[in-house]
Amino acid sequence: MDETQLIARVRAGDSAAERALYDAHVDRVYRLAFRLAGDDTLAQDFTQETFIRAFDRLGSFRGDAAFSTWLHAITTTVVLNGLRKMKRFRQREADIDDAQSIGVTRRDAEPDLKTRLKKAIDALPEGYRTVFVMHDVEGYTHEEIGAALGVETGTSKAQLSRARAKLRVALSDFAGEWVP
Amino acid sequence: MIDQHEDPKFEQWLKDAAQSYNAPRPTPRLEIWKRIEETRRNRHVIEIRPWMRWALAAAAILVIGIGIGRWTAHPPRANAPVVASADSVRSDVAYQVAAQQYLTRTEVLLTDFRAQRVRGQLDPQFVAAARDLLTTTRLMLDSPAANDPQLQPLLEDLELVLAQITQLPAEPGRKNEMDLINQGLNQRSVLTRLRTATPAIPAGPVPVRAQGVS
Repeated sequence: MDETQLIARVRAGDSAAERALYDAHVDRVYRLAFRLAGDDTLAQDFTQETFIRAFDRLGSFRGDAAFSTWLHAITTTVVLNGLRKMKRFRQREADIDDAQSIGVTRRDAEPDLKTRLKKAIDALPEGYRTVFVMHDVEGYTHEEIGAALGVETGTSKAQLSRARAKLRVALSDFAGEWVP
Repeated sequence: MIDQHEDPKFEQWLKDAAQSYNAPRPTPRLEIWKRIEETRRNRHVIEIRPWMRWALAAAAILVIGIGIGRWTAHPPRANAPVVASADSVRSDVAYQVAAQQYLTRTEVLLTDFRAQRVRGQLDPQFVAAARDLLTTTRLMLDSPAANDPQLQPLLEDLELVLAQITQLPAEPGRKNEMDLINQGLNQRSVLTRLRTATPAIPAGPVPVRAQGVS
């Protein structure tokens, strides 16, 4: 059964088809949610909300684009809105952490590439980070990213380029690893 | 032609290195599916009980009314006539009861959270109650209550606090995380704002505001 038929059966109230549609897409949704949230509980919450919204709104899916494109647009909306709320609440804690880190030499404090890279990616502006994670980490195309985020393909490319440039500066201590 | 900012070696190195960024564990498919089913089932229960939706909407409207009333209220004029139909009185009663229940339950739960923080562990029933209130709060946020510029931030703060609480496993050794949540509660004066928003209604029959009585 192809996906169009599966969607038609979901619309008709077939719960087995719902589960099949979920199984076909949940891995990619959860992976993206986890990559952006960095937390299993949040990733599960976001995945759950994504599918609930998708099943609720399946009637509005016209089939102009692939179902996965439509679903990933819902995923990014759910995840980014959720993270914005969390960020606002945690801002004070982050400010305190930043204040305490003044005067600490970053290279000494964070000699590990993995840790430095995580901090550098986390510090990217939201749009840059989202595009970087989707493209360079999860392998989405610029067309898929543009459709999911509601931006032009060129915007996605530009944001990726800026994200990489910022990361290059942030990780300059490790330049020996990519410059032979 | 390669753009001056492009560096294929760096980009490949970055892609490889970034695979460690927030590396996900295998998808807990069954766990998430069960939660989806449960949420949708519970929602269906709500949908077949229209009075519940009505009560929540009423609570939201009331809270707006209380908020607006507290910020704009002037002492009633001594000679102002009391105009209250039987329907509006019944609606007022329902609004007040629904809102009072929601706000009081949230206030009690957050107060109890502070007590449980000392032990560094939450009861499973406590987490279940927090989850229930989180659902109600989200319904409030989707209601006209969220249009009120002063009530919305309180509801959003409550949503975040309750979301954080529901993410805490009910097991010992969680004091640090509970302290952080409590710190957030204090910094944003959530309990104080909640108590200010809670209507002061006695437990008995709900009084109708009479002229000249403040």
